[in-house]
Amino acid sequence: MRKYWELMKSQIKLDSAYTIWYWSGTASTILRVFVIYAFWSAVYDNRVEITGIPLSTMLTYVVLATLLSNYSAGVGYELANRVRNGEVAIELMRPYDLMHKLVALDLGTKITSSVRNTLPIIILSFIFIGINLPHTWFAGPLSILSAIIGVFIGAQLDMIIGILAFWVFYIWGLRILRNAILLFFSGALLPISLFPDWLQTVSTFLPFQSIVYVPVAIYTGQITGSDIYFSILMQLVWLVVIFGIIRLLWSFALRRVTIFGG
Amino acid sequence: MVNYYPENREYFEMGCSMIEVRGLTKEYTIVKKSPGLRGAVKGLFVRDYTVKRAVDNINFSINQGELVGYIGANGAGKSTTIKMLSGILTPSSGEVKVNGIIPYQERKKNAQTIGAVFGQRTQLFWDIAVRESYHLLKHIYQIPDKQHKETLEMFIEVLNLGPLLATPVRQLSLGQKMRCELAAAFLHNPSIVYLDEPTIGLDVAVKTRIRAFIREMNKLHNTTVLLTTHDMQDIEEICNRIIIIDEGKVLYDGSLASIKERFGQKRVIHFELDLEGEFTLPAALEGKANVIPGEEEGKISLSFSSKEMNAADVISAVLGEYRARDLTIADPKIETIVHEIYERGV
Ligand SMILES: Nc1ncnc2c1ncn2[C@@H]1O[C@H](COP(=O)(O)OP(=O)(O)OP(=O)(O)O)[C@@H](O)[C@H]1O
Ligand SMILES: [Mg+2]
Repeated sequence: MRKYWELMKSQIKLDSAYTIWYWSGTASTILRVFVIYAFWSAVYDNRVEITGIPLSTMLTYVVLATLLSNYSAGVGYELANRVRNGEVAIELMRPYDLMHKLVALDLGTKITSSVRNTLPIIILSFIFIGINLPHTWFAGPLSILSAIIGVFIGAQLDMIIGILAFWVFYIWGLRILRNAILLFFSGALLPISLFPDWLQTVSTFLPFQSIVYVPVAIYTGQITGSDIYFSILMQLVWLVVIFGIIRLLWSFALRRVTIFGG
Repeated sequence: MVNYYPENREYFEMGCSMIEVRGLTKEYTIVKKSPGLRGAVKGLFVRDYTVKRAVDNINFSINQGELVGYIGANGAGKSTTIKMLSGILTPSSGEVKVNGIIPYQERKKNAQTIGAVFGQRTQLFWDIAVRESYHLLKHIYQIPDKQHKETLEMFIEVLNLGPLLATPVRQLSLGQKMRCELAAAFLHNPSIVYLDEPTIGLDVAVKTRIRAFIREMNKLHNTTVLLTTHDMQDIEEICNRIIIIDEGKVLYDGSLASIKERFGQKRVIHFELDLEGEFTLPAALEGKANVIPGEEEGKISLSFSSKEMNAADVISAVLGEYRARDLTIADPKIETIVHEIYERGV
């Protein structure tokens, strides 16, 4: 366990060193938040609410969703690169589990960006955009818990794409497809409760809404009461299922490396 | 295969050697792709395979503390063997045992006891400073604090790493990087270290330092070393045994001393000639001397056996047909011996 902890720490140190990346990341997120704010203010114009959602709730949703969707990528890219340049083989000579190592590195990156990027922007959003506090006092911690699970689900889905690099050499096509699906079905653009009924139904059977919609909707109160616990349970189920899929794919991939030589 | 190492056999049977390899074979299947769209579509239904046997029924066993040079021409199967020994590749058939472990089955356990340098690839952490890399390795290999500190201090001294510690690996020169890699490979005091071309592209000073370091580690910890290289000086200075392979098969396995003794009557004369056109062997030397082309225009070396000819005859035969600017008679070098073995077999 200690080794993964140290790997995570080293990643945090590394990320903290790249100040230019940090600032450009922060700047682009602030810009996106601002555009969203302007867009939704214009859409609401003189109306008080749209399909039962008041402007302040909508702004709260879209701002938090934008921030959270920053986390939906993971280390799949890193893994795919290592597959392509053959470094995966070298990693197999180390006394650690590559999947665990990648997760540790990913956590490191995400912790850094939470502290340096997300948190300040949330505070700015409270002050300047006037986003709401959590719907109820216990929706706060539950939405954080749900967000953490969601971040893991996003990272694991990304890992699946990374592992596919063992079979599909150029995976940018897959990645673009994934981004499009995520943007729509994760609820990063719009609350899924605004989707037509049939699309909402489809969405409940997919893992993507667990990444953004569920945690943010718990926060804003679109998911309430016992639905909250049910949603979090579903997230956990997805996490376990996807983890299982990864382990299975990884064992196939490993066989491939060790038999074909990468 | 000729085995000049009778005592090996016993270790083999007793099973207390460090590395044991029996009937080891690795075949790569390579999918043949036809060009173009039609080929791609066709590839979905029928697949043409070619099978490349990179390692072919190899046997050897290496005892603790041996310094073994594993040599062979490009594509002979050296790296493939090392990959199987380190658990990265699964053999197609045959047995491997390293330290009592089957590497490809217990990859992590094996990883804990081996160290490796692959000359063409870095194993350090690309973006972070060298010192940080070593700190991470300490935790990855779970090296006790005290041992880590002492080992590192010694490595810094011997490999002169002091000025490099604060630099990220990606900013190091090749030679600087290689010194750091080597330290990383030995840091957790592995019982076996695989070095795949550790001196590739390095200047003489760095090579010397690295060779001294490897010998030193062997002396201190009785570390077993398996080394591949194309630089015969590495072999002469580090190894006490060599295994020569060609096209995946073992050609020679024995001590460095015995190969020198066996081929010791080999002599080499280096000529610097004023050549007009190609060099052709004078008729008098036909079948008796071997031409080893030199790197520069006009530089030619001839190897021959001192039993069959004496040096004076060779020189006069060459001078009868060419004008020589310079010539030197060299000691038999392992390099020429190996060249000979590649060409003609043992
Ligand atoms: N992943 C692979 N897939 C298919 N063939 C391979 C693969 N790796 C190596 N080979 C082939 O196997 C043979 C042995 O390769 P190997 O890398 O072991 O040679 P080597 O002795 O290390 O050579 P060098 O001195 O050039 O490093 C070569 O013919 C090579 O083309
Ligand atoms: Mg090689």
